[in-house]
Amino acid sequence: MRTILELDNLHYRYPGQGFLALKGASLVVPEGRKLAVMGRNGCGKSTLFLHCNGILKPNPGTVRLDGRELRYDRGSLLELRRQVGIVFQSAEDQLFSASVAQDISFGPLNLGLSEQEARSRVQAAAETCEILDIMDRPVHALSAGQKTMVALAGVLAMDPRVLIVDEVLGNLDPWARSQVLTVLGRLVDRGKTVLMSTHDLAVAFNWADIVVVMKDGRVVAADSPENVSRDADMMNLVGPPDPWLSRASRENESRGMLGSRLSFGSAAKGG
Amino acid sequence: MVDPAQKAGLAALVMVLCLVSDKPTVGLAAVFGMCGLATFWAAIPLRVFCGVLVAEAAFLLMTVGGVAVSIGASPSVGTWAFAVGPCWVGTSPSSLALAWRLATRALGSAAAMNFLALTTPLGDLLEVMRGLRLPVLLIDLMTVVYRFVFTLMDSLVRMHTAQESRLGYASFQRGMVSAGLLAGGLFVDACRRTRRLQTALESRGCSRDLRVLPITYRRDSGLYRVEAVLLCGLVMIWSLS
Repeated sequence: MRTILELDNLHYRYPGQGFLALKGASLVVPEGRKLAVMGRNGCGKSTLFLHCNGILKPNPGTVRLDGRELRYDRGSLLELRRQVGIVFQSAEDQLFSASVAQDISFGPLNLGLSEQEARSRVQAAAETCEILDIMDRPVHALSAGQKTMVALAGVLAMDPRVLIVDEVLGNLDPWARSQVLTVLGRLVDRGKTVLMSTHDLAVAFNWADIVVVMKDGRVVAADSPENVSRDADMMNLVGPPDPWLSRASRENESRGMLGSRLSFGSAAKGG
Repeated sequence: MVDPAQKAGLAALVMVLCLVSDKPTVGLAAVFGMCGLATFWAAIPLRVFCGVLVAEAAFLLMTVGGVAVSIGASPSVGTWAFAVGPCWVGTSPSSLALAWRLATRALGSAAAMNFLALTTPLGDLLEVMRGLRLPVLLIDLMTVVYRFVFTLMDSLVRMHTAQESRLGYASFQRGMVSAGLLAGGLFVDACRRTRRLQTALESRGCSRDLRVLPITYRRDSGLYRVEAVLLCGLVMIWSLS
């Protein structure tokens, strides 16, 4: 599997803060895969994401795209942001225009595309995200789920190869969640790489190809859901054992059904 | 969507006619014309249109009151004068006529602007401003300010509810303290939102200005005809009076 993005030993301290938000985080992102990034609040997930897109500059540490080390000049940053897009946690804060269509067109135009090309990108992104019916509505009249889809479309219109989705499922109802996951699935089918941070165990372990676990500014695991779920220490980092799931898996274990996709047996033993 | 430039053009022309003609009949005709267009063509409820106009008229009354009435130490303040204590308050046919002319002129212009404001969302007005090649910085600022009106209003309501649910406004004193905290909190919230917006814009490759696709509108030929009739009517009233 080809590596698309590589984060190597990233350290970062936010200006005016005494502690390091990242303490040597490293991650290899293979192309065309779904990665779920997990870990407790404040463990550095969002900070790690901001490095993927060149918003933050590690000190020390290196970010490589397609094996080439990122230099932080204007040209390389624009190129990186064309390849790697981020949908942020709060959709409310990333939409700047009152018009849905205009907000989505912002990224494509920044890439220097012609108006005609940008228009077709907006249309395609709106189709992928199933928001064609709200294109004429003002942004402030949208629901949280619709705002998230618009923010997602705004990034998709730039046609990035890597899409980073920072904890967007949190405030959404189950239907909106499933719509987001459907769209992300479509993207992976088209060969895109998706990184999503989430606290939802069921989503992470069912959806992802690779589960990444972070702790205290480091990546402590990046492995298949099966392998991570067998590691009791890792499972303790992603959440307390779910009483229902652990009971079900204990029953499965006694029947000799270990190794199913959602095996939380080790978590139950560890917790 | 109807081209907002069509509406903005009409509003501007009606305003110019009201100001240049300086005829009360033209001002009054403009008020009725715009009111008719807003209620019948744009389906703005008559109550809404008149409500806004009455509020403006109230402010206008305060200003033209000063024009119509003069106060002085002698009865020479006007043709008709009344002693009020040691002062004389008076008015004359000429100052009344001036006040009437001012009021109708202002009201006609206000009605034209109200028609534009009540039928056109700000986003569309920004498109008109882009078309007029106004400075990009101004338009970008207006875009973001307009968006922030809603996000900050949302924050304000939420913070206020949270304070009230913990009895923040139980007494006058507590209310004053809470309102102060709310103002400070809102400022911090605005700063935080600005930073997050900046990050998000940067990650979408923002270089200098907020370039977006222009919105395509349709020209309403029926509206053009109505506008032409309205404007011709105003010019005729001007030349007749």
